[in-house]
Order: sequence, then structure tokens, then C-alpha cells
Amino acid sequence: MDYSKQIQDIAAKLFADGKIDVFVGYRMNSFDDNQIPVVITDPKEVAELVFTEKSVFNLTNYLKADHTRNKRVGLVVKGCDSRSLNLLLTESQVKREKLYIIGIACEGVVDDKGQKMQNCVECIVPDAVVFDEMLGTPKGIRDYIVNADIIELAGKGLVERREYFEQIFENCIRCNACRHSCPLCYCAKCCIDQETATIYNGSNTSSSAFHALMTWSLHLAGRCVDCRNCEKACPSHLPLHLLHKQNEKVIYDNFQNHLAGVEEGDRGAFYKYSLKDPDDFIL
Amino acid sequence: MSFSTFVTDKTGLQKLYEAIISKHETYAPVEKFGKYDYKKVSSLKECDPDSPIAMTMSVKPLFFPRASKIMKYEANSSGTTIMETDEDPLAGKRVVLGVKHCDARGLQVLDAVNKWDYIDSDFLKRRANTVIFSTRCDKADTHCFCTSLDYDLEKLDALDVAVVNGSDGKIYLQARTGKGDIFLKENSDQSTMYDVQNTMDDVRSTKYEEDMKKQYIAFTGSFRLKMDYKDVNEKMAKRFDSPAFEEASRNCVSCNTCAFICPTCHCFKISDEKIKDTGVRYKSYDSCNNVYFTLEAGGHNPRPAKFRRWRQRSMHKFVYYKERFGVNLCVGCGHCAISCPVNISIFDVVNHVANSPASS
Repeated sequence: MDYSKQIQDIAAKLFADGKIDVFVGYRMNSFDDNQIPVVITDPKEVAELVFTEKSVFNLTNYLKADHTRNKRVGLVVKGCDSRSLNLLLTESQVKREKLYIIGIACEGVVDDKGQKMQNCVECIVPDAVVFDEMLGTPKGIRDYIVNADIIELAGKGLVERREYFEQIFENCIRCNACRHSCPLCYCAKCCIDQETATIYNGSNTSSSAFHALMTWSLHLAGRCVDCRNCEKACPSHLPLHLLHKQNEKVIYDNFQNHLAGVEEGDRGAFYKYSLKDPDDFIL
Repeated sequence: MSFSTFVTDKTGLQKLYEAIISKHETYAPVEKFGKYDYKKVSSLKECDPDSPIAMTMSVKPLFFPRASKIMKYEANSSGTTIMETDEDPLAGKRVVLGVKHCDARGLQVLDAVNKWDYIDSDFLKRRANTVIFSTRCDKADTHCFCTSLDYDLEKLDALDVAVVNGSDGKIYLQARTGKGDIFLKENSDQSTMYDVQNTMDDVRSTKYEEDMKKQYIAFTGSFRLKMDYKDVNEKMAKRFDSPAFEEASRNCVSCNTCAFICPTCHCFKISDEKIKDTGVRYKSYDSCNNVYFTLEAGGHNPRPAKFRRWRQRSMHKFVYYKERFGVNLCVGCGHCAISCPVNISIFDVVNHVANSPASS
């Protein structure tokens, strides 16, 4: 999977035609074979752009940055990235006409050690679902599979599960990197940053980490697209996917196989009403 | 004043570690999710004092915890009572094993700010009560650049005992402070280790010197990143208005990870955990990369843009702190770049800025 040349050509053409102000893509690290995101405003830098199986970061995260706000943006998206983009479009965070999207029929990306990312093994929608131009051959939607760790987690009792998560969150340093690197966390002021709220205090204790991460994961329930930006950003290497994947599985099972952002105009499981929604909790 | 140097071998060192762990409150790198963090240990099996540098969190939290209680308060109709916390930051003697030299230097740098203006007695007492055992890196990691920033083992006062591997399987335990000297003498086991000074012979000592020199040359040779920090300091001071800050910080996601894991970043915030009329006041980490860091009560934010925050961060590290305390607020450990989700290195940023055209 190497679309570097195609992406360079497309970006150069877009800049030449004056269709975009900014291009968000990947470039090589200066020191190893890993890649970092790059925000290009100068057409001369287009030659730096690459796209291989090392292009891991979900670039839709940059759509909330100052550099891209209210600008015409060219963007590279993989399957999972395009799902988050779909949600951002539905939630009016970006305007479709301001974007030029290069969709990738993704074959899965690899981590620093060259191993295929777990979310790519489990990937359901490898092809970009929203795009202006598609690179690669689309492979269609795959079956929904869940990894063993989630099944194991689901098998645990509530108390046991709480203890398990408490033990995980003990290592959280509350830097909020997970939230900042999440493309779908764009609230102008996050509930966990409210200075005046007494329900959530800003101290970096384990209990507030537990509270913050649980609140965060519930806010993303039915919206998380499993791009794992959060997990990659976490300096403590916490398995944050356990929260999101567990939520995703519960929603998939209960809300008519709902997967966030796959369809255009999808509003997320909790934001739309269907007669088939479970109501067994109503007394 | 010279301090004692002990010689031992691998098993001797392990025995010493075990003895320390059984006698004292000991902290050492413990692995969790592939990341090493300094945790309290009860046996040598739990921890790895030779943890890989790229996977190790800084030792800072043991001295400046990510959240520490400052005080407790209680309000009733007759007024507010302020109480001491139940947390005792000045606990008895403790030992930290396997501290990297860059981390120890971080503490040394932090001493300056904690002894200045407001004297942070909690931090200083934690420092005074802790004996630090180091491990020596043989090789630099991808993002290391400590040798570019005044790395000098001789000046490293924050280390109490330096553990150095000799070339012939010998391990040298070098006390570097009075505290470390006393501790080492108290805990050394005569059957497995001996004092170089007591059984001094010139051959060994010359060999030791040679070993060190050779190791140091090999060590410095393994660095990918090198900079002339004096030049950088000078150039950075003249480039406050440089557009290079904007260019270098463009792909930053403002996630604060760099500051939280940095061995020298020391900004904090004060927050209250309140239940009805009682509460605890906490001092927790904060970061200048955070949008809310400079947000004022009236709603004005002097640093709303990302590049302004990056400018503050890099200028504080390489200009302001240097002007005030004579050292850079960066020890070149590279932890920020390792943990950064988009691989931004402070090294790249300051170099990019320093090499950009000077502003008028």
C-alpha cells in the first residue's frame, strides 16, 4: 500500500488549481521509517507527502485546529478516518464543500514495531466512506469481529470490571492526550475542564482519572470509530480501546448493528430514534 | 572530599538491591503495558532497574507527585478551619533504584526553582530523604540528546550512588554525595563487594579510569542528535517574533503529554475536591501547552494560539530559565518526543527556530 506519488500529484494539482488553502497529510520522520502528520500551506512542500502502511494517525483530528478552520482543506482519509469525518460532517463541525477528500481503500496500518494494528485486524470498514477521489481497490464491508480481550472483559462481573479498570487507570497521568488526539472530541469546553463544576475537580488523582475517562468514553459511545488515536497518544500506553470497544459491542448488539459514521448523515446511536431500540429498561 | 567507590559483580549488585528492598522503602521501574513507571516494590523480581530508556517514565512524580494534597478545610457557621493533610510528604528514608542520569539531572534542575522565591519544603524534604541509585546508559536512544546539554557525570550532584558497568563484568558503585556515601557504607555486604579505597591498587584504578573513558566515548558516539546549546540559547533569545514557532508547532495536537512526562516541567494548578462543607486542596500537574493554562477569570486568554504556547514552552526551557538559574530547563532525555502522538521533538523545534532568520 503506497499511494505517495498519487497523493503528491493530487495535492500539487489542488494547490495549482487554487482549490485548497491547506493540505493535511503524512510525511516521513527525519530519523526513522515512521511517519508524522504534516499540515501544508506551501505548495512547494507537496513533495514531502507520503502514504504507506505506516500512515497511522487519524488526520481528521486536524480539522478542529486553527490552521484548518474556515479554510479549504485537502485531506487524506482511511476507512476509520472517513467514518469520523462523516460524523463531523453530520455534527456540522466541518463543511463538505470546504473539503477535498482523498479516500484510501485501506489495507491496514502497522504500529512502530511493524505489527498490524489490532483495530485493523478487526476492521469492518476498510474503505473510505466519504471521498472525492478514491485510491486503491475497495474491498467492501467485512464481518463484525470482536477481539478476545473484549469478550473476556464482557464476561467479567461489574465489581470485577470496576477493579480491573481502576487498576488500569492507576497509571493514568491525566494529561488528557486521549481527548486532545480524538477527532470527535471538539467541545469548545470539555465537561472535565470546567473550573467551576464541583462534580469534576481538576486534580490529577486516580479517582478523577477514573471519572474523566469514564465520562469521556460514554460521551463517545455510539460515536467512536475505533481509529485508536487515543491509545497511540497515551504516554502510559493504557489499553483505552477496552472502554470504546466494549461500548461499541454493546451498541452493535442492541442498536440494530449500529456502527458509527458508516452511513452518510449518521447521527450516532444515541442521537436517533428507532422503534427497534431496546426498551427493556423501562419499568 | 572524596567518596567511597565499591566494586562488585552482577550477583553482588542483585544481593545489594535485595537487601535494600527488604530494609528500606524502595522505588524502582515496574513494567505495566510495556511502559516502566517508578513504583514501590517489595521484591527485586517485580522491577527492572535496568529498564530501557525509551519506555521509562521520569522519576519526577516521586518528588513532585501528579496530585498532592496541600491542605484540608472545613467550613461551618463559625468560620473555616484549615487543617494539615493526612498525607505525609516527608516520609522516612526511601531509595530509588535504576534512575537514568537524565532524570537525576532533571531533579537537579528542579532544585533551583524549588529553592528560589517560594521555598517548596515538601519537594526539598522528599529530595533530602531519598537516596538515588542510577543506571548508566550504554547507548543513546533515538531521541536522546543529553550530551548536548551540559551532561557531566562529575557535576551530577542529584545522583547519590552511580552504578557503572566495567568492561570485565565488574560493577562499580560510586557514591557521589555524603548521603549516598553513608548509605552505601551502611548497606554494603563485605562478602560480595569491596571498597576500592581500602584495597587500593593502582592497576585497578587506572583500569577503571580507562574503562570510563572508553565507555564515555562509545556512549557519546551513539548519539544521533547533537546541538550547540549555547548557540541555541543565544539565537532563541533573539527570535521571539519568529514565524518559525508557528511552522514548527503546526502539527501539534496540544495534548500536554510532553509536559506531564517531562522530568523538568514543573507548572501546576490548584484545585479543590469538595464534598459539602469540607474539602481537600490539591496541587496537580498543568501544562503551558494547555489552552486553559493562561485563561483568566475575565475570559481573556493571552495565549490562545498554539504557536504562542509552543513559544512559551521552548523559550522557558532554553531562554528564561537559563537567564534566571544558569541552566537549561531541558536535560535532553527525549521523553517528550517518544511520547508525542505526532513525534514532535523539542530538539527539532528549538533547532528550527534557532536556524530561522532573525526577526528585526
